[in-house]
Amino acid sequence: MSFLIPCPHCGNRSVYEYRFGGEVKLRPRPEASDEEWLDYTYTKANEAGVQKEWWFHRSGCRQWLQALRNTTTNEVLEAFFPE
Amino acid sequence: MAYSLEKFTFEFDGKTVEARAGDTVASALYRAGRRIFTRSFKYHRPRGLLCMAGKCPNCMMSVDGTPNVRACITPARAGMKVRHQNAIPSLENDWLAGVQRFDWLLPVGWYYKTLTKPWAWHAAEPYIRKVAGLGIVPEPGSGSTDYEHAWMHAEVAVIGGGPAGLQAAHELAQQGIQVTLVDDQSALGGHLRYRKQAGAVPAELIDKLRAMPGVEIISSAYCFGLYEGNLLGVLQSNPHPGAVERLIHLRAKRVVVATGSYEVPFTFENNDLPGVMLSSAVQRLIHIHGIKPGARAVVIGTQVDEVAADLSEAGIEVVATVAPADVVSAAGSSHVSGLRTRDREIPCDLVVMCGQRVPDAGLLNQAGGKLQWDAVCGAFLPVDLPPHVIAVGGVTGIGLRSAAPLPPAEVPFHKRAFVCFCSDVSTVDIRDGIGEGFDHIETLKRYTTLTMGPCQGRMCQLAGIGVCAHETGRSMGETGVTTSRPPNPSVTLGALAGPRHHPIRRTPVHYAHEAAGAVWLDMGEWKRPRYYKTATCSSERPCVEEEYRAVREHVGLIDVSTLGKLDVKGRDAGKLLDKVYTNRFSDLKPGRVRYSVLCDEAGIMLDDGTISRLAEDHYFITTTTGNLDFVRQWLEWWLLGSGWDVHITNLTSGRAAVNLAGPNARDTLRKLTDSDLSIKAFPYMACREAEVAGVPSLLMRIGFVGETGWEIHYPAEYGEHLWNKLLEAGAAHGIRPFGIEAQRLLRLEKRHVIVGVDTDALSNPYESGMAWIAKLDKDDFIGRNALRKLSSATPQQSLVGFIMDDNAVPQDGAAILVNGALAGRVTSARHSPKNGKAVGLAWVIAASAAEGSQIDIRVDGTLARARIVSDAFYDAPGERLRM
Repeated sequence: MSFLIPCPHCGNRSVYEYRFGGEVKLRPRPEASDEEWLDYTYTKANEAGVQKEWWFHRSGCRQWLQALRNTTTNEVLEAFFPE
Repeated sequence: MAYSLEKFTFEFDGKTVEARAGDTVASALYRAGRRIFTRSFKYHRPRGLLCMAGKCPNCMMSVDGTPNVRACITPARAGMKVRHQNAIPSLENDWLAGVQRFDWLLPVGWYYKTLTKPWAWHAAEPYIRKVAGLGIVPEPGSGSTDYEHAWMHAEVAVIGGGPAGLQAAHELAQQGIQVTLVDDQSALGGHLRYRKQAGAVPAELIDKLRAMPGVEIISSAYCFGLYEGNLLGVLQSNPHPGAVERLIHLRAKRVVVATGSYEVPFTFENNDLPGVMLSSAVQRLIHIHGIKPGARAVVIGTQVDEVAADLSEAGIEVVATVAPADVVSAAGSSHVSGLRTRDREIPCDLVVMCGQRVPDAGLLNQAGGKLQWDAVCGAFLPVDLPPHVIAVGGVTGIGLRSAAPLPPAEVPFHKRAFVCFCSDVSTVDIRDGIGEGFDHIETLKRYTTLTMGPCQGRMCQLAGIGVCAHETGRSMGETGVTTSRPPNPSVTLGALAGPRHHPIRRTPVHYAHEAAGAVWLDMGEWKRPRYYKTATCSSERPCVEEEYRAVREHVGLIDVSTLGKLDVKGRDAGKLLDKVYTNRFSDLKPGRVRYSVLCDEAGIMLDDGTISRLAEDHYFITTTTGNLDFVRQWLEWWLLGSGWDVHITNLTSGRAAVNLAGPNARDTLRKLTDSDLSIKAFPYMACREAEVAGVPSLLMRIGFVGETGWEIHYPAEYGEHLWNKLLEAGAAHGIRPFGIEAQRLLRLEKRHVIVGVDTDALSNPYESGMAWIAKLDKDDFIGRNALRKLSSATPQQSLVGFIMDDNAVPQDGAAILVNGALAGRVTSARHSPKNGKAVGLAWVIAASAAEGSQIDIRVDGTLARARIVSDAFYDAPGERLRM
């Protein structure tokens, strides 16, 4: 694992500068069903292809960002600060 | 060519060997008359120089304690100590050479066929390890540790310093592109260094290149891997006298692979005898080292003119040239003495194989390129390269011609016709492996260990595919190649580990602890006092007991500066804390402190700490020592997109923190501050900013150890000042500094849980006996949904307190049994001076978690009885910490 992530603040940096934060998911509303909560808590899409993920630039700007990564090639198409 | 006359000596097996400037270890030994360089992995057959290029396993030796060093490419240095490997007592006279007489007992897949019972492997392993193998790994601490790491960047990395690589680097540099050239030999020039008829080494071009701006040349460095993002792993030998090896992480925008090709041997009986050499090795000995490798040579091959001319010029008589298909076997016992062909035996002292040249395309394969069979070249050529990787020169197959038909029309099946020199795999072994059903090249590889030795398939892959294709009736292309994976060739583990640099963090009070006789404990990067040696105690147990008594009876002082400290400010700070922590903070009054845990969405406890409200819009959080970064990132993550006005500042390094605790804490602190410390004005769980010994401080009345106490946070610059002032003020009240060990005992008597020690990645507040910490009536917070479910679920296990029946003291982690069945484990246990017996915390199954339940704990191999206790072991009502 040695790919680069283009931090929108710091530029192209080694993945070792980052901490992985998992897939980007939408948190259910408090009153959502048990199924939705279970799905949110335990199920991962684990996409074989492009996936939107959280990354924290711990050895850089110390900001959370989101990246579109192809999980089969580890190519990062884009990285950006979330809206 | 003029050879250097500068001479020096080194040691081989205790004997002095003379070397000349420019020699490698192997060339010096060869010149001194050595012909056997190692003994083979399995059969202990004598092996001599084969490739002279670092591509084969035949010259691996131990150099200055480092095993498995390739002597043929390791520059000789004055005074170095070289030893042979895998032979007892010497290379010439190896007692284990008898193993090869039993080769009929060692069929392919011998382990799997013979050692089928679990005990059999355990019984056989020590003997196998002694008999078979490579060099011996040095004992920890005795080997070389002088390894370095370096990080480099290049617009273009050129791998290979032969004519193609040099030309590519020069053209790129002329365009103003920053180039880093990596070459695995000690001098640039590639095959031109030893193939005199192919042209001279372009010395002028090399000089020009060295002088050009933006050009970096790394010699004696091989590239062992091409990873994602064009990261190249480069291992450089002896970058400077202070380092054995340097691992370079070279990141390049583009990579030019100019690794050329290497020569591989023919397969026939006894093809591994010393004196049977590749033509390129012979040329290297003649042209680079000025050595005449024999007197009478037989040359095998179809394209022999160049080599025959070189041999003649060096004064070596070429007694015959033989076509590869006509060779039957090499004759000789410890060195070649002749070559048998189909119709005669030719006496000689050197057999030169003009073998097939194979593109060194491993890096291209790793980059995603495919390898395609080309019958004209007689090799697999790289195709379909990714856009950021370019191949130039010999690696592309340019100029390659097939040296012998593949697959071969006839395979010489013989137990001594070696395909793999690394682990003694013969043509017979491959045939048998295929016969047993391993007829795919990838399964054949794993079953026979073909291509899996130190040479990583360089010498054996092509021949192995040839035998496989022949036996299965497939073509070379259909048989295919095995995948190249880094590291290739092998890399020293020490080089990967790098220099032994460990970051150390010292608290602002560190040197005061040192002066006070602290015995250190490493907690992550932090150094913390475990206990203090004093005039009255010199070992752990009495010291800890003295410290314990000081806190319980007088007053103690502990440095807690390693706690994570976060300043949380803003209009919506309370909202954020309500969302992330399980306890409620928006209703906490300024000047008050509250404890809470922090859970994930599954209700698992991730961290705990105290949160003080300093003002309406201002909170101060402490986290556990190891979790600071996590908690900070967690808070900021949940803040994203909320639109809330919150600002988080990490004050961990900027603040020192100490905890003053004990019945005399108030009298001690009163001497240093004007602030009213009375119970009424400063009750338990209150906080206040005040000056202590002139230092602006935050005082928090909390009681981890169970006594009246204040946690004092103050600027790190005053670290030792305030610490010393507190000790001075407490001198009349019996003050003592105390360490982690006493703190752990004190808190254990109070049954205070340490998240991450007593809890793990499956612990929730309900099973941990902290149901009160989850405020389910809050609107919404992280983990609420799961905690609501857990609150009504029947717990499977519980974190409980226990007290031993007798004097046994269990270790942390000890097993708990009930009626002989496993029922849990101890998380913390210490001898409690208060109870006169050990007390502790443990996870036990729900059925045995009730007050008074009897459990058995494994202590020193026997079972000791204990009883579950639900209250704290010390001051159960909690009166003392409120005093």
